[in-house]
Amino acid sequence: MSKPTDLVQGTLDLLLLKILALEPLHGWAISLRLRAISGDVLQVSEGSLYPALHKLEQEGWITAEWKQTENNRRAKFYSLTRMGRQQLESEAANWHRLSTAISQIVQLAEGQTSEA
Amino acid sequence: MRIAHSTRLKLRSIFQGRKVESELDEELQFHLENKIAEGVGAGLSEKAARQAAMRAMDGLEQQKERVRDTRGIHWLTDFTDDVRYAIRSLHRTIGLTAFVVLTLAVGIGMVSATFSMLDALIFRPYPVPHPGSVLTLVSTTHDNSYDDFSYREYLDLRDKTTSYDGVIAYADMQAVGFSANPAATPRVRGGMLVSGNFFQVLGVEPRIGRSFRADEDQVPGRDAVVVLGPDFWRHEFAGDPSVLGRKVRLNGVDFTVIGIAPDSFPGLQIFGHPDFYMPMAMVRSFSTNPQKNFLEDRDDREVNVKARLKPGVTLQQARNELAVLAKNFESEYPQLNRARGAAVHSSFEMRTRADDVNWKFGVIFVILALSVLLVACTNVAGLLLSRARSRTREIAVRLAIGAGRFRIIRLLLTESLILALLGGLGGIVIGYGIVQWFHSYQSVILMSDLPVAIPFQMDVRALLASLALALLSALLCGLAPALQSTRADLVNGLKSADVDVPGRKRLWGRNVLVVAQVAASLMLLTAAFLMVRGFQHGVLESTNFPKDHLLLASFDPRLIQYNPSQTKQFYKLLTERVRSAPGVQDATLTQNIPLGFDDYEFEPLAFVPENFQMPRDRQNFSVLTDTVDEAYFRTMQLPILHGRVFRESDTSETPRVAIVNEQFAKHYWPNADAVGKRIRLDSADGTPVEIVGVTQTLKYQATVETPMDFLYLPLAQHPVTRMTLTLRSAGDPLQSLGPLKDVVRSLDPNLPMLLTRTYEDYYINKAVKGPSVAINLVGAMGVVGMLLAVAGLYGLVAYNVSRRTREIGIRMAIGANRSDVLRLMMGKGLILVGIGIALGLGMGFAVERLMNAMLFDSGGVDVLAYATVVPAMLLITVLATYLPARKATQIAPTQALRYE
Repeated sequence: MSKPTDLVQGTLDLLLLKILALEPLHGWAISLRLRAISGDVLQVSEGSLYPALHKLEQEGWITAEWKQTENNRRAKFYSLTRMGRQQLESEAANWHRLSTAISQIVQLAEGQTSEA
Repeated sequence: MRIAHSTRLKLRSIFQGRKVESELDEELQFHLENKIAEGVGAGLSEKAARQAAMRAMDGLEQQKERVRDTRGIHWLTDFTDDVRYAIRSLHRTIGLTAFVVLTLAVGIGMVSATFSMLDALIFRPYPVPHPGSVLTLVSTTHDNSYDDFSYREYLDLRDKTTSYDGVIAYADMQAVGFSANPAATPRVRGGMLVSGNFFQVLGVEPRIGRSFRADEDQVPGRDAVVVLGPDFWRHEFAGDPSVLGRKVRLNGVDFTVIGIAPDSFPGLQIFGHPDFYMPMAMVRSFSTNPQKNFLEDRDDREVNVKARLKPGVTLQQARNELAVLAKNFESEYPQLNRARGAAVHSSFEMRTRADDVNWKFGVIFVILALSVLLVACTNVAGLLLSRARSRTREIAVRLAIGAGRFRIIRLLLTESLILALLGGLGGIVIGYGIVQWFHSYQSVILMSDLPVAIPFQMDVRALLASLALALLSALLCGLAPALQSTRADLVNGLKSADVDVPGRKRLWGRNVLVVAQVAASLMLLTAAFLMVRGFQHGVLESTNFPKDHLLLASFDPRLIQYNPSQTKQFYKLLTERVRSAPGVQDATLTQNIPLGFDDYEFEPLAFVPENFQMPRDRQNFSVLTDTVDEAYFRTMQLPILHGRVFRESDTSETPRVAIVNEQFAKHYWPNADAVGKRIRLDSADGTPVEIVGVTQTLKYQATVETPMDFLYLPLAQHPVTRMTLTLRSAGDPLQSLGPLKDVVRSLDPNLPMLLTRTYEDYYINKAVKGPSVAINLVGAMGVVGMLLAVAGLYGLVAYNVSRRTREIGIRMAIGANRSDVLRLMMGKGLILVGIGIALGLGMGFAVERLMNAMLFDSGGVDVLAYATVVPAMLLITVLATYLPARKATQIAPTQALRYE
C-alpha cells in the first residue's frame, strides 16, 4: 500500500474545520468528504482521522453529539463551535498567507533569487 | 471557557471512563462497518473487505490508543495502573512489605513525636489573631538579657512608643486563694495580673461577657473584676453562663466575674494556662515583692511586656525606638537604670533564648529522631535494592517490550510511595503513642499546684510534617534502587532471574547504606549513653544531703491578706509549734528548696564585693539567693565548711550577714578564706553584708545546671512572705502531716497549705523521673537505631551469601576450607563495620560537643561512654555478619553447584 503524501503539519485540522463548517457530519461522512473534495491528491489515513477529531474536540473547536443517521444508525456527529469558527478563520488566513508566499517563491525564475 | 470545556471532557473521561471507551468503540466500529460495506459494494469478499478496511485505518486498537492520548489524562490512568500493580506486587512479598512499613513507621513516629514537642516549644504561634506581629519587650542587664520591666516603666513604654498598636503587660501566673463563695475555704488556683488593654490589644474576644475596659486599670483597688479562663470556667462552674455578674473571692477580696476567655485562648505562655485574669490595678490583693511598691517603684521589675507592631513598621525601627527610650530611662533614673538596656524580640527569639533548656532538649531529640529515620530509610532502601535486583528479569522484560526507563522508575517509585504512605500512617500512630506517653509523665515533670500542662500535641502541623517526611523518605528509599535496577543489562537480564550491573560498582550503594547505618546507630547509642551519664553526673554530684525524713509545705499569708507583722508572727509560731509536735525532730523555713519549685524563683541580689577590682563596664554583680531561717543548715544537714550558721542573734538590728557556697567563695576570693569578707548591696557604697560561713555547692534550679554561685540570707534580716516549711521527722515524714495540719489549723484555718509532699518524693520526681523521660526516649532511639542497623547488616551478608552460593560451592569443591569461606563472606562486612564505627565515633564526638554545649556543659570527652558503646556495637555487628556467613560454610558443594 502506497503511503499518502504527509499533510503539512496542522493542515488536517484546517481541512476538518472547513468541512465541518459546511454542515455537521459523522466520522465516516467526513472521510468520504475528504476523499471527494481532494481527489487522490490528499490522502488521510482513515485511522488518523479520529485522533485528530478528538483533539479538536478537546480544544473546544468542535463539539460532538450522538444522532440518528439517515439509515437509522446511531452515529457521532461533529459540528463547529463558535470558537471553532474563529479558529477556522484565523487558520484559513494563515494558510492563505503561507501558500501565497510559497507559490511566489516557487514561481521565481532561476537567477532571480538574489533580487527577491 | 476553553479550559472549562477541556476540563469537562477530562473529568468525563476520568469518571465515566467506561462510557467514553464504549462510545469510542462504537464510533470506530461504525466507520469500520461502513468501510467494509463499501468494499463489499466494490466487489470484494466480506473477509477481504474487512482486511482492507483494517489496513486503511491502521488498526483499530492503535487508533484508540492515539485517541486516548488526546485526552491528556494519561498521567492519571498510568498512575492508577501503577498503584494497582504496586499493591499487587507488594502483596506478593507481604512479609517484606510489613517489615519495611514497620521500619518506616518507627522512624517517622519518632520524628513526628519529637517534632510535635519542638513545635509546641518553638514554632506554634500565639493563640491570637495575627500572632506574628506580637513582640516581646525585655529589659536587659549584664547578667540578665531577659529581665522584666517595672509597672512604671511599662506605662512609659505604653505611652512613649509609636511603633505599636498597643503595649500590654502581665505578671507571671501566681498562686491565688480562690473560693466560689465567701463561706468556702480558699483553694489554690493560678491567676494572672494583666493590664487593662490585655485582651483588646491581643485581639481576643471573650467567649461570653466582656473583657476589661481601659478605665478598669486606672484607679488602684477600685475595679474588682475578673475574667475566667475557659477550662477553669468549665471545671469550676460546669460551663454555666450565669456565672457572669457573680462574685468570687480571690485572696479574700470579692471580684465580679465579667467575662470568660474563649477556648481558642488558653493563655500566652507555653506551659501555664491561667485560671483567671485580674486587672493590674488590683495588684495589692496579690503577691508581689513585699519590699517594693508594685505600682510606684520603678525598680520593682515584675511585669512582662508584649506589644503589637503597627503594620508597616519594621522590627528594626521598633528596636531603634526602644534603644532610645532605654537610654532616656538611664539618664533620667541613673540610680535605678544604670547599665540597663532594653530589647525587642520575636516569639521565636524569646522561645529559643539561651537560658532556657527545654527547647534545647527538643532540638536534640529531633536531631536524634531524624537519624533514626535516616537509619530506617537506609535499611528500607537496602531491602528495596535487593528486591529490585531479584526482579531484574521482570524489569528487563518490561524494558525489552518497549517500556521507557522513566516509566519503570515511576512504577518503582510508586511502590515506595505506597510503602512510605503506609509507613507515614503507622508513624502517626506511633508518634501519637509517644506523645500520650509524654502526657502520662505530666504530673511528674510539672509538679505544681498551678494549672500547667505539657502542650505537646499531634496537631495538624505535626501531621503535615509527618506526611512530608513520609514522601521524602519514599524518594530517599526508592530512587536509588529504581535507578540501579533500570540500568541493568537487557540481554543478561532476560537470561537470568537475578543479575548485577557488571563491575565493582555493583554493591557500592548497599555498602554505603550499611556504613551509614552503623555510624548513625553508634551515634544514637552514644547520645543515649551520654544523656544517662549527664543526668547521673548532675544529680549525684551535688545533692548528696540526706533526703529522707523531710516533709515540705509552703505557705503564702498574702493569700489571706496578712500584713508583714502578722506574717512574721505566723511564721514564728508555726516553727515553734511544729518543732514541738510529736515525731518532729526539727523544722526550718526557706524561701525555696534545693532543685527549687518552678513556681517559686530564687531571688537575684545585686552586690559588689569589697576591695574587688570591678570590670570597667560593670556596676555590680548578681547572684541568686535563698532566704532561710537559723535552723536551715541544721535541718537539711548541709555542712558548713568554714565559719558559722545563722544565729538567733542575727536580727534586723545587728549588722547584716550572709552565707555563700564554695563556688561563690572560690569565684571572688580564690586564694583566701571568704569568711569575714564583706560585700556591698547594689553598689560599692551600699549596705555592707559580712560573709559568716561557706557551705557546700548544690544543684539549685535543675539537675543539669553547671555549678553556680549562691548566697543565703537570714530570714530575720530579709523578710519574705511566701515560705516553705521543711520539717525533719523521726519516722515516716508523712506521719508528721497530721500534726502539721493541726498546727496550721490552730493558727489560721483559712490559710491553705501548698505543695505538700515529702522531699524524697519531690526529689525523685524532679531529679530521677523527669530526666528518665529524656533518657528513655533517647535510649529507645539508640536501641531502635541499633536493631535496624543490625538487621541491615545481617541482610547484606545473608543476601551476599545466597547470591554467591554457587561460587562458594565451586571454591569448596576445589579445596577451600570453611575458614577461607568464612573470611571471604565476613571480610567485606567487617570492613564496612570498621568504616561505620570510625564515622560513628566522629559523629558521636560531634553530638557530645553539641550536648555539652547545649545541656550539660561537662567539658571533656566521656571516655567511659565510648569504652562501653564501641565494643558493644562491634560485638553486635560482628555477630550480625558472622551468623549468615556461617551458613555459607555449611553448604554442601554438591548442592551449591546445582543451585540456581
